[in-house]
Amino acid sequence: MASALVEQLLNGLTIGMVYVLLAAGLSVVFGVMDVINFAHGELFALGAYFGYAVATVDGGGFWAALVVAPLAVAVVGAAIERYTVRPLYGRNPLYHILLTFGLVLVLKDGIELVWGPRPKELSAPAVISGTVEAFGFTYPRYSLFVIGIGAVLAAGTWLALNHTRYGLVIRAGSMDREMVTYLGIDIDRYYTLVFAFGAALAAIAGLVLAPRNGVDPGMGDSVIIPAFVVVVLGGLGSFRGAVVGGLGVGVVQTVMRSYVPVLEGLVVFLLMIGVLLVRPQGLFGDPEFEEAGDLFTASGGVLTDARRRQLGVAVVALLALAPLGSGVLYSPFLLNSLFVTVLTWALFALSLDFVMGYAGLVSLGHVLFYGVGAYVTVLVVMHAVPSVVLALLVGVAICLPLAWVIGQLSIRVAGVYFAMITLGFAELFAQIPNKVTQINALLATPWLPTWLRLPALRGNRGLFGIDPVYGLTGGPGVGAVQVVGGVDLLYYVVLAAVVGSYLLARRLMQAPFGSVLQGIREAEQRAEFVGYDVTAYKRRAFVVSGGLAGLAGGLQALADGGVSTSYLAWIQSGKVIVMTMLGGMGTLYGPMLGAGAFFGVKEFLLPVTEQWQGVLGVLFVLFVIFVPEGLVSIPATVQARFAGGPSGGTPVEEPDPVDREVGD
Amino acid sequence: MAADADAHGSTTIGTADDPVLETRGLVKRFGELVAVDDVSLRIPRGEVRSVIGPNGAGKTTLFDLITGVLAPTEGSVRFAGADVTGLAPHERVARGMSRSFQLTDVFGGLTVRENVRLAAQAARDDGFSPADWLLRPTGSFVDVLADAEAVLERVDLADRAGERAATLAYGDRRRLEIGIVLATDPDLVLLDEPTAGMSREETAATMALVGDVLADRTLLLIEHDVDLVLDVSDRVTVLDRGSVLASGTPAEVAADDDVQAAYLGGSR
Repeated sequence: MASALVEQLLNGLTIGMVYVLLAAGLSVVFGVMDVINFAHGELFALGAYFGYAVATVDGGGFWAALVVAPLAVAVVGAAIERYTVRPLYGRNPLYHILLTFGLVLVLKDGIELVWGPRPKELSAPAVISGTVEAFGFTYPRYSLFVIGIGAVLAAGTWLALNHTRYGLVIRAGSMDREMVTYLGIDIDRYYTLVFAFGAALAAIAGLVLAPRNGVDPGMGDSVIIPAFVVVVLGGLGSFRGAVVGGLGVGVVQTVMRSYVPVLEGLVVFLLMIGVLLVRPQGLFGDPEFEEAGDLFTASGGVLTDARRRQLGVAVVALLALAPLGSGVLYSPFLLNSLFVTVLTWALFALSLDFVMGYAGLVSLGHVLFYGVGAYVTVLVVMHAVPSVVLALLVGVAICLPLAWVIGQLSIRVAGVYFAMITLGFAELFAQIPNKVTQINALLATPWLPTWLRLPALRGNRGLFGIDPVYGLTGGPGVGAVQVVGGVDLLYYVVLAAVVGSYLLARRLMQAPFGSVLQGIREAEQRAEFVGYDVTAYKRRAFVVSGGLAGLAGGLQALADGGVSTSYLAWIQSGKVIVMTMLGGMGTLYGPMLGAGAFFGVKEFLLPVTEQWQGVLGVLFVLFVIFVPEGLVSIPATVQARFAGGPSGGTPVEEPDPVDREVGD
Repeated sequence: MAADADAHGSTTIGTADDPVLETRGLVKRFGELVAVDDVSLRIPRGEVRSVIGPNGAGKTTLFDLITGVLAPTEGSVRFAGADVTGLAPHERVARGMSRSFQLTDVFGGLTVRENVRLAAQAARDDGFSPADWLLRPTGSFVDVLADAEAVLERVDLADRAGERAATLAYGDRRRLEIGIVLATDPDLVLLDEPTAGMSREETAATMALVGDVLADRTLLLIEHDVDLVLDVSDRVTVLDRGSVLASGTPAEVAADDDVQAAYLGGSR
């Protein structure tokens, strides 16, 4: 018993040390330059791959790898800082999330391009294999090695930050960047250094974990979320927090795995949510931390109201006629897969923009509502009523109160912490389909009614085999109109739901409710001081948004004929943020356009290159840097450039002050 | 506008002897620093009160405590006969308290008209059904629109109503902010250095505007320009290092030795 516990602890500390190395880099980079680096996990993977390359080459080996890989990754990190992160300093830290999300796609695809998708193995040298015995217990040497190297590096980092001139400049720069530059110090050089150093720590973490867990392209994905949990738990920017959080999470996670398996995978997120609710700034975070920089929102384009309305009607008409060309002009696949996907994701992006573009809440957990909507819709069709429309409505009806509860808990924390707490909730829900049995075992108590127990969700295999047009055909009256077949009918359901949702959102934005949201977007403090309860408005926007996202998920699940855990994966939240940004936050049609552009580019690239994700990532990085207002801002920018010459040129009409879409 | 005062209960405030605003022993500490130290104010209805003091005297912190941006470490704020110490800013606004900021704060991306309309809409908030609030276009709320137009006329921005607030010149933006304050139909207005950064002419014009459109309200004013303060105020409170150094009519304060020494530098 005691030896089992010691082994658990040792395992926990080993994984904990890896978290410390990861979190230390993330946290210091955030503390110094306010950058949330989602690509940190890919730098971790890159460390393992570089290490693998060096270790397996002639004359290489593990020890050489341990020196070369971190240096190489540091160079990559420095380049990332210099050429992509630097242009964004001074903007809201949320842009760094978006930027580095693009970098994730690029780096991951790059790794697959060079090393292929299959996992690699890397063995540890003999010196650190096997076990040692002391005080009557047996310890794996490798764990001791990881703990040792982690402890040395953490102590070294602490010393460097607190007892060197470099550390002093870096700490001063994190407090007041301007003041440091006035002192004649080239702070940018230090930033590059810090970023490179963080990258090197991540690389070491990846490499030391490789002999134990292997090397594969998904390794970055699997650590980045826990690493962020550690950072948020400890407090963004706090080195001490990273160390305590990393070791704590490592140990708790490992111990839970053996003693309370139902909580495995859940406990870290529960821990994070709990800590943030009690101490919104994390365990060791700075309570005075405030974010700088605004979110860029797009506003009215170059079209007049009437022209825009015509365009909108034309697009809807074209989409309505699209099934007629199916099988003639293009394959039915295009219609029922691509078009439907674009439409549902347009709705998903619209729902996100409702909170992100109008209420300034960047939700990293929006996939929660999308996934819950999808699961509920499928379950209702399978077990309750064979009616697609009713099932979709039930899905929305469940998402609305869910969004209210999660909004109630999350909106108390601001900015980056809000993004992380919503991510935490989404990850909690993502675990449920794989834990139905355990959760039901917990619920199997006499004082809870049996209907409260979860239905079978079949984990990663998902629930499939539903007919997407249940209740739509064959009913009285409806069956007579058989102009369009079953699958096309679903297309129309999707089209009607998406257009209807857009019109509803537009209507809300034209009403007092939406006008207050726009006021909050422009000047939150002002809105509070003309008498609006800003928090309550944000929560209401979150509820509307959750309902729309649930509808989008339900529609997509119907189109796919079922649902699986991929509907709850955090990467989907990332994708929808990408689309919203791409199109243009703060307009309703922009994000929808972004969804179209995203899938359009993907469809275009798919036959051209296997690395379409990487290319998409590059495009996205360029977008964040150069066109932060999104696609919808391009016409106005172009017009301004060509119309307003030095001689004055033709007088450019003052851009419409209100967002035209909702301001008529 | 004044006719709408009933909308949020300003008629219940009571006799002229009752202060509109009363602070009792307000203290605000930030760690070791005592920014506001035991400040008690009584502002009767209709008074124009100025708060002056050197930089760092705690004037803006005092405003933040009164309006609910910050919670006091000790002491209480009573407004319109009720204790509002625990209320959020928007709840105090709903009871008739309104403020402007040292750094002008307007809805930059919205039109001048929409800026004022949002404030007027907030003032009439109680009168709408949820369905109206969610789905009825703002253009169909004629009362709110009329309120907004009336305010735009009074602050002389009617001809610029269609412009984006962010494109206005500094002085005009200040005026717009006063318009926003006016449109919330407040009983008590707190203005934080309304003429900061203005030329002499702009300052005069702004003070004339304040005197004109806010004359029937109770005013609490932070000012740097001592001459200005002595002209327009009924009473003046001098803050120094967080506590009240002197309080009285402009003449009394100007003659006060402590004030001479601490603030006016003895030059007057």
